[in-house]
Amino acid sequence: MGRLKNKVAIVTGGGRGLGKTYCLRMAEEEAKIVVADILDREAEETVSEIKAKGGNAIAIKADVTSEADTQRMAEETVKKFGRIDILVNSAGYYYGMVRKPFNEVSSEEWDKAMLVNAKGTWLCCKAVFPQMKKQGKGKIINVSSEAVFAPTKGFIHYTASKAAVIGITRVLAGELGQYGICVNVIVPGVVDTAATRTYINIEKFDIGSVPLGRVELPEDVVGSVVFFASDDSDFVSGQSLLIDGARRVH
Amino acid sequence: MGRLDGKVAIVTGGGKGLGRAFCFGLAKEGAKVVMAVHRLDEEATKAAKEIETKGGYALEVDVTKEEDTQRMAEETVKKFGRIDILVNNAAYYYGVGRKLFYEVSSEEWDRALAVGAKGAWLCAKAVFPQMKKQGKGKIINLSSETVFSPTKGMIHYVTSKAAVIGITRVLAGELGQYGICVNAVAPGFTDTAASRTIGSIEKFDVSSIPLGRVGVPEDVIGSVIFFASDDSDFVSGQTLLVDGARRVH
Repeated sequence: MGRLKNKVAIVTGGGRGLGKTYCLRMAEEEAKIVVADILDREAEETVSEIKAKGGNAIAIKADVTSEADTQRMAEETVKKFGRIDILVNSAGYYYGMVRKPFNEVSSEEWDKAMLVNAKGTWLCCKAVFPQMKKQGKGKIINVSSEAVFAPTKGFIHYTASKAAVIGITRVLAGELGQYGICVNVIVPGVVDTAATRTYINIEKFDIGSVPLGRVELPEDVVGSVVFFASDDSDFVSGQSLLIDGARRVH
Repeated sequence: MGRLDGKVAIVTGGGKGLGRAFCFGLAKEGAKVVMAVHRLDEEATKAAKEIETKGGYALEVDVTKEEDTQRMAEETVKKFGRIDILVNNAAYYYGVGRKLFYEVSSEEWDRALAVGAKGAWLCAKAVFPQMKKQGKGKIINLSSETVFSPTKGMIHYVTSKAAVIGITRVLAGELGQYGICVNAVAPGFTDTAASRTIGSIEKFDVSSIPLGRVGVPEDVIGSVIFFASDDSDFVSGQTLLVDGARRVH
């Protein structure tokens, strides 16, 4: 039996990259998946793949920076599947980002990173909260970045927004514990995805800095998502877990 | 099918409290469990008999003695052919008392560091050759929420549990090349017989715990299974608090 049987999970940014991998693995664990993405064609593609393997999923087009969209996302989920057990806040402003020093990042780039990564995460939590509260249990999994735990060069807006996600996680853990809602944050390293390849030559990545000796793949992250989504972590909340082959320790 | 089918796990301090819960939690997922206990007293003997009915094995080990830890690893390999998981749970905690830092004796300090820190290191040393040979392994060290809190009292215990985090990080760095992952689990104040020697569970301020109750051993098992399973194969060097969000890390 799947470890997420009868649970309903919303994954933002589920149309591609890491978010898509989370959808596929949670579907294997028998969760019903809501693939929420601003890219509706990609979201439909993820749904097709889940269904081809016998899973249950729907796609919802949603811009996480729009409160109306996030509310509709939660409403449509409840209408379709009757509940919301898991929210994975994987949507992020990352694809196509350029590694610039802090004084070359524009005000618009800064605002966009904070809007999508920080405010979007908060808005999605706000949207699912009433339903999770009603159920007396819930799991929210936010996505930060190893960049926060490293002397990162460049990406100050991205890194600041991913540090903000840790703040959001801690406050929500404090505020939502009384309703049985656990809020944790996973922290992947440099993962080999199409988005990562827009700013780095992954073949030249210094794997000597990774004790486990190789570049990280999307599949490396999914086990931690399932852990935080499952009953195995029912007394774990407010925590940040790095998944990066021990490159950084926390 | 269990998530640890075919795996062999050693749990130190496995006869009581959290360690006993880990033994049965790992066994339930299909692992063959070696329950290492300091002394097979009445309570530990009962647990030992029970783990044997689940295909496990119990032995006496003083984790502060290198020859004991070596024998523990050898007997495990002799009995089950491999070592996949080591849970370093043995600690000087039962009856440790909540003394202020200047009231702790030098002997108490040495004892806490010998069991909690040196013991974890010696056990890791003992299982390393076999895990290296297998090209994979999981070491789970038990730290404590007290390290992340302005704890009053138990300076020797808290120091030993902070040392465990240092051990975890260095081993993650040194053993990654052999596919061995090393992580730490830091439980909060958990309702066990040992905790009850330290403080009253009933008087514990649960309003300081967002999830609204004192932890029980079963709350910690899921995290140990996660770090023992393939789901955490790219996670190493990390410390996870399991305390109902009382502290955040």
